[in-house]
Amino acid sequence: MTVLDQLVAGAREDQELREQTLPLEALQELAKAAPAAMDAHRWLKQSKAVPVIAEIKRASPSKGHLGDIPDPAALGRDYERGGASAISVLTEGRRFLGSLQDFDQVRAAVHIPVMRKDFIVSDYQIWEARAHGADMVLLIVAALEDQDLKSLLDLTHQLGMTALVETHSREEIDRAMAVGARVIGINARNLKDLRVDVHRYQELAADLPVDVIRVAESGVFGPIELEDYARAGADAVLVGEGVATAEDPQLAVSRLVSAGARVKASESRPLGQHEGPYFGQYGGRYVPEALVGALDELESVYEEAKADPSFLEEFARLNRRYVGRPSPLTEAPRFAGRINDQVGLKARVFLKREDLNHTGAHKINNALGQGLLVKRMGKTRVIAETGAGQHGVATATVCAIFGLRCRIYMGQIDARRQALNVARMRLLGAEVVEVTQGTRILKDAINEALRDWVTNVKDTHYLLGTVAGPHPFPSMVRDFQKVIGEEASEQLREEYGIASPDAICACVGGGSNAIGIMNAFLDDPSVNLYGYEAGGHGPQSGEHAIRFAPGTGELGLFQGAKSYLLETDEGQTLDTYSISAGLDYASVGPEHAWLRDMGRVNYSWATDEEAMSAFKDLCETEGIIPAIESSHALAGAYKAAADLKAKGYEHPTIIVNVSGRGDKDVATAGKWFGYLTDEQSQALEANEAQGSSREGE
Amino acid sequence: MSQSVIGGNAVAGGVGKDQPLGFNHRPSPSRVRLDACEAKDQPAFIGYLPYGFPNAEGSLQAIETICRHGVDLVEIGLPYSDPVMDGQVIQSAARIALDQGERIAGVFEAVELVAACGAVPLIMSYWNLIFHYGVENFARDFANAGGAGLITPDLIPDEAGEWIEVSDQHGLDRIFMVSPDSSQDRLKTVAGNSRGFVYAASRMGVTGEQESISASPQTLVETTRQAGADKVCVGLGVSTGDQGAQVGAYADGVIVGSALVHCLLDDSGRRSRDLQEGLNLLAAKSDELSLGIHTARLS
Repeated sequence: MTVLDQLVAGAREDQELREQTLPLEALQELAKAAPAAMDAHRWLKQSKAVPVIAEIKRASPSKGHLGDIPDPAALGRDYERGGASAISVLTEGRRFLGSLQDFDQVRAAVHIPVMRKDFIVSDYQIWEARAHGADMVLLIVAALEDQDLKSLLDLTHQLGMTALVETHSREEIDRAMAVGARVIGINARNLKDLRVDVHRYQELAADLPVDVIRVAESGVFGPIELEDYARAGADAVLVGEGVATAEDPQLAVSRLVSAGARVKASESRPLGQHEGPYFGQYGGRYVPEALVGALDELESVYEEAKADPSFLEEFARLNRRYVGRPSPLTEAPRFAGRINDQVGLKARVFLKREDLNHTGAHKINNALGQGLLVKRMGKTRVIAETGAGQHGVATATVCAIFGLRCRIYMGQIDARRQALNVARMRLLGAEVVEVTQGTRILKDAINEALRDWVTNVKDTHYLLGTVAGPHPFPSMVRDFQKVIGEEASEQLREEYGIASPDAICACVGGGSNAIGIMNAFLDDPSVNLYGYEAGGHGPQSGEHAIRFAPGTGELGLFQGAKSYLLETDEGQTLDTYSISAGLDYASVGPEHAWLRDMGRVNYSWATDEEAMSAFKDLCETEGIIPAIESSHALAGAYKAAADLKAKGYEHPTIIVNVSGRGDKDVATAGKWFGYLTDEQSQALEANEAQGSSREGE
Repeated sequence: MSQSVIGGNAVAGGVGKDQPLGFNHRPSPSRVRLDACEAKDQPAFIGYLPYGFPNAEGSLQAIETICRHGVDLVEIGLPYSDPVMDGQVIQSAARIALDQGERIAGVFEAVELVAACGAVPLIMSYWNLIFHYGVENFARDFANAGGAGLITPDLIPDEAGEWIEVSDQHGLDRIFMVSPDSSQDRLKTVAGNSRGFVYAASRMGVTGEQESISASPQTLVETTRQAGADKVCVGLGVSTGDQGAQVGAYADGVIVGSALVHCLLDDSGRRSRDLQEGLNLLAAKSDELSLGIHTARLS
């Protein structure tokens, strides 16, 4: 006899005893007199939450004694206050130590659906549940023949109740569906180690009709398992021990409820309007507590500003009159010719000319937006990091317009390869601090900026330059940059009569120019999106900044966000390398990580060599000197064209985001192509930027 | 049917040992020690040293030294490549440790050592290191070594769902931080999710020694207690016995880091000092701090 058989036999015996004192007819009268059952369906499936069914359970055959629970009503109230959507009360007395008295106490104490959980095999038990005010009952497929399952389910529905039909195999799910179950409990515990097996859950839950509510029924202890199940598609979860034995059951339930809300929010659509803090499992705020106040303030000031027409007007006015927006969309027929010759295609290529913005790159869009927020917050000092110097220049520019004190942190190596931009920042009145800690590149500049921010957060705003970092930066910077794609879409339609592009190419360091041009197209699946990381000397060389290719980045937390990260097997940040200072970063914006996982954007890389070759191609064919960062997108256009050809396109329209101009890179390129004599090269080397070096405290 | 799975619980196969952990109800080890100090009307002396600095063996000797010179709880730091909450001294120590080939798995030896000395072993780590090791794996290995809890400078309770669940299952302390500008709401969130004690930063900023300690930490300790924290310990900037006495008058524990680490660095602050010389300085510094802190409430 299996344990299940024993439990069923015991439950039947106990029921027969009760029936002797209260015959079925009398019970039915009581049931009819009971207040109507609540419709549990709407509690168990919610668009913005993962409903929690919290269980009142003293013991189980597998875990033995769990807790005395002297006052089930109080526990039920705790669950309800914590945000539970339903309460499951064990009424089996022999092994689970429950009772109908427990049920009555809980029923009287709460205003949410209550489920009778027992080994139900007879009509009598269903009527009994209803007579005690139950809204739901549990039916276990493994304990019932098909015809019994059907008649008990029908009776449950007839009495206005909802049945949670427990299954743990594909076959049982099929049986449950065949008799009309509407709420299916799926037990997906891996029976070897008893952990939640999400893959098994996905297998089991696959192909269930959308109107069936899926309840993950076992192994949910806390937020970890809830998140696993919810991401695998569970509508609701049932939790026992994790809440019943918690020191503070209300807190335990509320943690589960907020974890569920977080998962739902993290996957909200449409993609183009998705808001942080989470992009799928990525994003968040992995920061010192000391920064939470400043991030909260920034978030609320930004929310307020977004809804304020005068803010939007001022932003648009500055974009038009100061930055020179809209930036042109230029057709590049001779550059397209080179691509077409190489790939064997008839593509038209258009360049989105962010290089023509004031200060020479897309960075000004974001710097201006945040600058306006700094004024709104009443802060007087701005700090920023910069890699290639473009964001530093944009920030210094904005601080000059708004009269803000400005300090730019720049890694020593970057300051040397971008000496001209260091001088520009100084001309604009900024203090440039050359960071000599760590690897002396972009990430070290960010570390130093974060240390400054933690210390001076009261009067200082950290004007982060990309769609990375802690919430709200990824969403906010995206919003300030999305004008790129909006304009490109309109220009293509209005000026060239093309309804929509077939492909977009952008380079991806932190990812702000890429998000900026892609945002408008994210929800149009006919547009192929391509992001190109800095391939340096190639993925095998270990000298690159490729985060997305297999064997490169891993899931990690870096500088405020969860995303892909280049790290050692110990979790230490790996050194990165790229000829382009602006793409030389160990992590990547969380939204990109999410878009990568869902396959919406195709990420690949361009090596130094490929980027420099495309750099020269554009110079020679179109008379445009692009930034080396943007040259990675141009090199990518060749790869995208090959991919489009493989997909069957013959005359694709490709937009490449030229995120910045290449004046700052002329020395690097001159050396690369051998246009400078040794003497000239040495003179440039000697002409290093002399930042005041910063050793920290 | 090969097995019966009932009511959400597997009843077939091995019972008990294979089950996922439930709540571990052991009392908070940090709390127990802070209570014992309280019973003697003493604040606790909490000392920080990074594991692996100046090298693995040297760090064990250093840790043993502070344990023998008055420390009640030890915060063992895990060196990290990007320590955004640390000032120059601890940055240098972390860099030296990493250059010397520090490996995380070795830290459990330090944990055992602290436990064997009778002090309470805590680990302070930037979260990516724990995350990458695997939160559950780390908690298991740490608890097995006798570890008490984690101090998490860049993990706020809002992001700590996994750690809260795992620490509850292993009976480990969760020490979150508050800072002088934390709002009432934040203080409540931190106090409500911490276990053991709350780490109050004495000022806005990164780790490092200070000439003087302002009065603001006392206010922060009071407001953190009002927000529901039972025990509040103060860190950032304490470097002398006198400062320790000043802070110990109102805090449940006084946390000292850079001043101890500093003993093991040479005058440039960038390289390690001769180890024996450093250990002697460290012993003297610990004695000074221990005296100051432990007699804070005698006057």
